Amino acid sequence: MKKAMIFNIQRYSIHDGEGIRTIVFFKGCSLRCPWCSNPESQSTNKEIMRKEVLCINCSSKNIFDCKQSPEFCPTNALEWVGNEMTVDQLVEEVMKDHIFYNSSGGGVTLSGGEVLVQGEFAIEFLKKLKSLGIHTAIETTGHGNWNILDDMSDYLDEVLFDLKIMDNQRFKEVIKGDGKLIKDNFIKLVNKGVKVTPRIPLIPTFTMDKDNINSIIEFLETNKINEVHLLPFHQYGSSKYKSIGKEYTLQKLEPSSKEQINRIKDIFISKGFTVTVGG
Amino acid sequence: MKDTSIRIKVLKDQLLENKREISLERANLYTDSFKQSEGKSSILRRALATAHILENVNIAIKPHELILGDRTIKPRSGIASPEMSPYWILDEIDTMYSRPQDKFYFTKEDKTIFKEKLYPFWDGKSLKDYVDSKMSEQVKQAINIGIVKINQTDKGQGHIIPTFEKIFSNGLAFLIDEIKDKLKTNVENDFLHAGLITLESLKKYMLRYAHLATTLALEESDYNRKQELIELHDICTKISHEKPQSLHEALQLFWFVNLALQYESNASSISTGRFDQFMLPFYRQSISDGIEEEYCRELLRCLWLKMNDVVLLRSEDSAKYFAGFPTGYTIILGGVDKAGRDATNELSYIILETYGDIRLPQPNIGVRIHEKSPMEFLMKVAETIRLGTGIPQVFNDEVIIPGYLNRGVSLEDARDYAVVGCVELSLPGKTYGLHDIALFNLLKVMEVTLDKHKENITSFDMLINEIKNTIKEYVKYMVDGSNITDAAHGLIAPTPLLSCFIDDCVAKGSDVSTGGAIYNFSGVQGIGISNLSDSLYVIKKAVFEDKDISLSELHHILHNNYHNNEIARQRFINKYDKYGNDIDEVDYIGSDILSYYCREVEKYTNIRGGIFQPGSYTVSAHIPLGEAVGATADGRLSKEQLADGGLSPMVGRDKNGPTSVLKSVSKLDNYLTTNGSLLNVKFSPSVLDGVEGLRKFVNYLQGFMRLKIQHIQFNIVSAKTLKDAQKNPLKYKDLVIRVAGYSAIFVELNKAIQDDIINRTEHGM
Repeated sequence: MKKAMIFNIQRYSIHDGEGIRTIVFFKGCSLRCPWCSNPESQSTNKEIMRKEVLCINCSSKNIFDCKQSPEFCPTNALEWVGNEMTVDQLVEEVMKDHIFYNSSGGGVTLSGGEVLVQGEFAIEFLKKLKSLGIHTAIETTGHGNWNILDDMSDYLDEVLFDLKIMDNQRFKEVIKGDGKLIKDNFIKLVNKGVKVTPRIPLIPTFTMDKDNINSIIEFLETNKINEVHLLPFHQYGSSKYKSIGKEYTLQKLEPSSKEQINRIKDIFISKGFTVTVGG
Repeated sequence: MKDTSIRIKVLKDQLLENKREISLERANLYTDSFKQSEGKSSILRRALATAHILENVNIAIKPHELILGDRTIKPRSGIASPEMSPYWILDEIDTMYSRPQDKFYFTKEDKTIFKEKLYPFWDGKSLKDYVDSKMSEQVKQAINIGIVKINQTDKGQGHIIPTFEKIFSNGLAFLIDEIKDKLKTNVENDFLHAGLITLESLKKYMLRYAHLATTLALEESDYNRKQELIELHDICTKISHEKPQSLHEALQLFWFVNLALQYESNASSISTGRFDQFMLPFYRQSISDGIEEEYCRELLRCLWLKMNDVVLLRSEDSAKYFAGFPTGYTIILGGVDKAGRDATNELSYIILETYGDIRLPQPNIGVRIHEKSPMEFLMKVAETIRLGTGIPQVFNDEVIIPGYLNRGVSLEDARDYAVVGCVELSLPGKTYGLHDIALFNLLKVMEVTLDKHKENITSFDMLINEIKNTIKEYVKYMVDGSNITDAAHGLIAPTPLLSCFIDDCVAKGSDVSTGGAIYNFSGVQGIGISNLSDSLYVIKKAVFEDKDISLSELHHILHNNYHNNEIARQRFINKYDKYGNDIDEVDYIGSDILSYYCREVEKYTNIRGGIFQPGSYTVSAHIPLGEAVGATADGRLSKEQLADGGLSPMVGRDKNGPTSVLKSVSKLDNYLTTNGSLLNVKFSPSVLDGVEGLRKFVNYLQGFMRLKIQHIQFNIVSAKTLKDAQKNPLKYKDLVIRVAGYSAIFVELNKAIQDDIINRTEHGM
């Protein structure tokens, strides 16, 4: 039985698409955004997270020196991130909230990491969900193989598609990936008739400059898209970097003020877009 | 209402400005009457005492008042009832003002009166004396050990919803004539005599207000107030015999009857019922008579303030179980009507909105929802919940009505259910349900069972069977204790006035306490199901499946309250699944035991010919009931609280979010707990942001309804809670903060971000 590496299943998600949703987070990502709020999502491997605040120092004065296994750790201060699951196990888990999908028009969203990294498994999973009549969506960076995305989109009601940095050179420098691939995939999806909703992370000094915003607008207008989600930068994921043994470079970056967010929101509105701040 | 009217502001300030005092006025009048009525039957003496109070108690009309009548002239006074028990009052006479919960001030003069006049008179004659003399050793042992708690052994019974149907459609004079008529052929019936005495004194009580209104009108220099007082005089005079027509008349009559019922028994939870149904004709009449809607709203706000004036004086122990002196002016809105159609109307909305203008603990508003509830009403409910006061609570017709059918209630009556006190289900105007007569501590049952059988239990099934045997044994004692208390109220504290407002007491010629009502339940609450599921699951896994530890070793650890065993305790908390996370294997353990408890309870009848029916709720009783239980295998320390509510997961143990909590609760057989059950769910305010947030919240409520759970109440997480979580992270591991596209465990965020969230919560994020 094929398995996927999943790092979280979040029920009652209400800010990420239609209705009440369950988000399945696939582990592994081909990009490295410096503002990533789920650093534990990047590697495809199982990892140990060390949560200082939960540690009762039963075996070590410092959790980062602790030699115990997560299985031993009595408070789950040491915890495995990443759980191998089969399609059937995942279906069983997400169907637990079926009654709420029905009452709200919600469903299941596959997120990451990057779901395309485990694309074949995800297609199997989505097929099964569709056969049960579940509303499906993915949240994707779009950074992956078109054929997989193409197949996957046959079983999707909606694609929430990140648009971050439009300049290919700068994209490569900051995020370590191929910006052109993403744009091509976006266009192909739209041309195929898939419902694509762009999500734009508003990261001060990275994505919020005039040029970038204008390029996004131009790109979307060309593709006849008139709805966007704006996702303001936050620091909620910052403490996780240390937990997972990674370095976080944006510690000092201040989240934007409401005014700054509204300024960008207004630009989109003035161009005729429907804008949702948050999901 | 954007700006509170001056009237409401002044009345609200008046209500809250003084410290709460004890008033002995009722006790004195009651005792004086009893000194005169020696030799008469108990029910006549009660009626004469009530009449003596109604005819002599000090009354006042305060500036700006549109609804008249207070129990005491000083707002929010606690009323002592030495006829129920003079003992605890004497014991606590000097500590009532310093106790931790629900403080009252006792003046020096009153202390003297109590000690020299009231106590000596009631010593040996109170309800409590009777109850104590009848309790068997076994019942006493069940109480002392901490499995059974019997309520109302030293206070009024209450927990009832009177009907206003007859007085509203015919007037007080009709009720008086009816009882006189009945007396012609039943001259010997003391209940009917008693009813007549109290009804006639109710009439006099109203006329006293009419008279006072005239007196004040003559002295009043302000023209507008003078007109108001003249109108109040007319209203009081009219409703003292005729049926009401306008909303103002109906509200005033409603309130006078409620005050009189308070004087009669000084009891908790003489509740209000389906206010949007029985007040609707009067509201519509007033509107069609050209009364402005805003004036109707002002009248309702005045009544809501009045409901906060009645506070209940409880003993220090009782105040722990029922903190915040809940008086139980519980109003139920919406739901289906007797024909099964949606009953929501304009008044349902207005009541929610005027509650939002006042935002005090009373009235305690609940709404009934069902498959056909209008979306607009559900949105209004969500908006009101967003205010963050926990009001309204939500009840589910889709499970409560079928539950009643299973108890032999007619479909029409079942569809007309309402709520008594906190969450107790009742059929208004037809039920004397003793809804709060006893609590049964299921977690203590497990402890007692383990203490007794730790050496000889060899399998999990055997443990479950022994627990069931203990339940069976102690349910019997609980029933005995409840029936003794039930009988005591019939003998010593009948309530003839109240009985005139419950069908079919007058027709049967019998007080509610002696079986006059149509429905005669006794409601007993099984508590601790969440901790029990969690503990038994740990035992199942660790002892019987994984064999990590023997039962007697575990017992030893628990017996020593996890002393030097913090690692084991943390493992029990964190390494085993818990109730509230939608995991069948855990949830079904508690479900089976709660069902067993329900089935045992159902076997018994009470002395009024009714059946015992189970419920599962605590008000604040999860704290004292927790104090009675030693450490448990779910990682709970000795004396630590139980899970709150009744059906809620243990605090900090539900980690899969609010839908999985509902799923776990839905695995209990919620058709059986017909006395009522209680579920608290925590939400962070951001979840209800904007129209979209409200809509999804409504969808959540619809899911709740379809899962056939009886009740839900929302705690919108406050900044205070977040601050506490910041200090005690291990206690709040379940606290999820949801923002756009992301959710985080609050305690795992760093301090600066936590502070930011606290800050935004304080300012309505």
